Amino acid sequence: MNQNLFQSGVKLLNALSRHSEVIMRAYLVGSVGASDMSPKVLEQLLQLGVLWRPEQDGDYRLKSAVRNLLEGSLQDERNRQIDTNMASALAAIKTLAQHYKEALHYGRFAESQGHLSDLREHVYALTESLANHVRLLFSRINNEFGYVASVDAKIRENQLAQSQVTDLLNQIEMIQFDEMSELAGNNRDLRHLLVVALQQSFTRVTKELSAVQARLLELLGRFREFRGKTRLLKGFVLHSDQHPDFVPKDYTAFSQVPMLFNQAEPLLRAAAVDSNNVEQEAELQHLVGQIRTINRHRKQEQQSAAKTINVDAIAAIEMDDSQLREAVEQYFCYVIDSGENITALQYLQWQALNFDTEAWLYQVIGGYQSLDTEEQRFFAIEATGEPHPLYSGNYLIHDVVLGVR
Amino acid sequence: MNQQGRVLTQLLKGQFICQVSDEDSWRYLKSSANRDALEPHLNLLNRTLTTTADGDVFFVGYAGLGDEERKVLGQQFQEVSSSLRPFVDWLLLVQQAQGNDVPVTMGTPIRLTELQTIIEDTPAFAEQLEKISRYRLFGSTSTQVDGQLKQVFKRLTDVGYLLKPNPEKQIFIATGKIDYLYEVLRFIDETESLSLAEQAQMSSEQGSLL
Repeated sequence: MNQNLFQSGVKLLNALSRHSEVIMRAYLVGSVGASDMSPKVLEQLLQLGVLWRPEQDGDYRLKSAVRNLLEGSLQDERNRQIDTNMASALAAIKTLAQHYKEALHYGRFAESQGHLSDLREHVYALTESLANHVRLLFSRINNEFGYVASVDAKIRENQLAQSQVTDLLNQIEMIQFDEMSELAGNNRDLRHLLVVALQQSFTRVTKELSAVQARLLELLGRFREFRGKTRLLKGFVLHSDQHPDFVPKDYTAFSQVPMLFNQAEPLLRAAAVDSNNVEQEAELQHLVGQIRTINRHRKQEQQSAAKTINVDAIAAIEMDDSQLREAVEQYFCYVIDSGENITALQYLQWQALNFDTEAWLYQVIGGYQSLDTEEQRFFAIEATGEPHPLYSGNYLIHDVVLGVR
Repeated sequence: MNQQGRVLTQLLKGQFICQVSDEDSWRYLKSSANRDALEPHLNLLNRTLTTTADGDVFFVGYAGLGDEERKVLGQQFQEVSSSLRPFVDWLLLVQQAQGNDVPVTMGTPIRLTELQTIIEDTPAFAEQLEKISRYRLFGSTSTQVDGQLKQVFKRLTDVGYLLKPNPEKQIFIATGKIDYLYEVLRFIDETESLSLAEQAQMSSEQGSLL
């Protein structure tokens, strides 16, 4: 059960019972003025669709639905009319107009007022039912016939709506305004009803109907396109089910390749970042800052299988520095024998020893350090060099001078 | 980079430009003056601007066809024609599952979660999806509807048939490439005189008689 619908229905019926006097007055008299009720009540009844105002500054009338309800329940056949049957509605209007004119002619004013009020009811009911029909059509179009599921059903609904529009247009054509204006003659009330009110609704309805027709055709076109596409898909499935080995010809081998299949391969690839471009540095840093996690696929390092290591072989890879050590001993002996000062590099060149100079200097310094303090006292060693130009606390040694104290 | 450069780049990257994928570029290409301005640049590279029959999807084709170009086109055609059936099956599945009988065309939104609920509740759809996801084009190995659907949609987004406007939301929009697919079907239908639509109509009428 739709709770909302239920509650608004209850609200409507409550409003009807609460304002029953106003409604019955409107039903019997034909219309009520704004002064007959409080503005609040009027507002509510308008909102609920119980009353409506056919003309800008006229009185308020009951909606035909409420009127039909009352007529049906009260068995009141006085104002019952056949709905969209334009011919009979027009005939009734013409007849009433003639009654009214005749009554006026013979001076029966009370009777003439009754005829006029009936006539009003007929004319307004006619215009209301026309407006209702157009509204109904629009509401169907606006939800694109959403009340039926398949496109085929929508197409059928659309065709039905189109035939209804044609019907309505044909019926509206039956209103002959020259006949109406002749009938109204120079009576003000009749002219107002038969010419002005009818014509206004006539133009509005025809204008709306032509919009409806255009929308319907547009929708029909869309539905047909949908149906075409669906059939294309279904047909393809059917066809390839029935002919599993179906392969379309290679159209690109034709001398004239269809535009559809002439699709060039991509030329441009994504550009890479130029990290040397100073202008982009700020942006690149920003980008790097946005990286939250770095998901690099690290290559699995090959786990080498366990194997026995031959410990005996270690002696073989011991550095053979005995030659260097002997040469340094020779150097020290030379210094003691000759008693003169000679730098380590000079000795290296003089003896034409085949050692790396750096290794030689290290070995000389190391050789001096490895003497015990008593022996060290015989020698004086001095390094020539300079402090490191960049990093303080470091001293670059170019050469070492060894002498006897 | 100005608009012309941007559009040219997109085209040379081999992208299809439609109203859904890039509205700005599409509007740019809709003006014939802009198209004429682009054409010399493309011609320099033996390319030319091509559109589908309704002129709503733009892409780049070869201006002149040599052996090399024909080889590329032939390869592409093989790919397209071999992936037609998976695409068609998928289009029909989405159309049937969405329940409004409206085919998926450019701009159709597809809500993945809704679709998933419907497919999970309907064994026939789930079976169909299973079959579709097994095609080489989609290559899903998942046994769950969730995994299969995600894989299919991911592939379709990668190839450019779908667009995911918001990475946080599972809503996809069909691009103009889908319409291109319909045109390929229509072309094959006409060229090979298969009368696919009539076949479908006949079978549905026979179906309604049963």
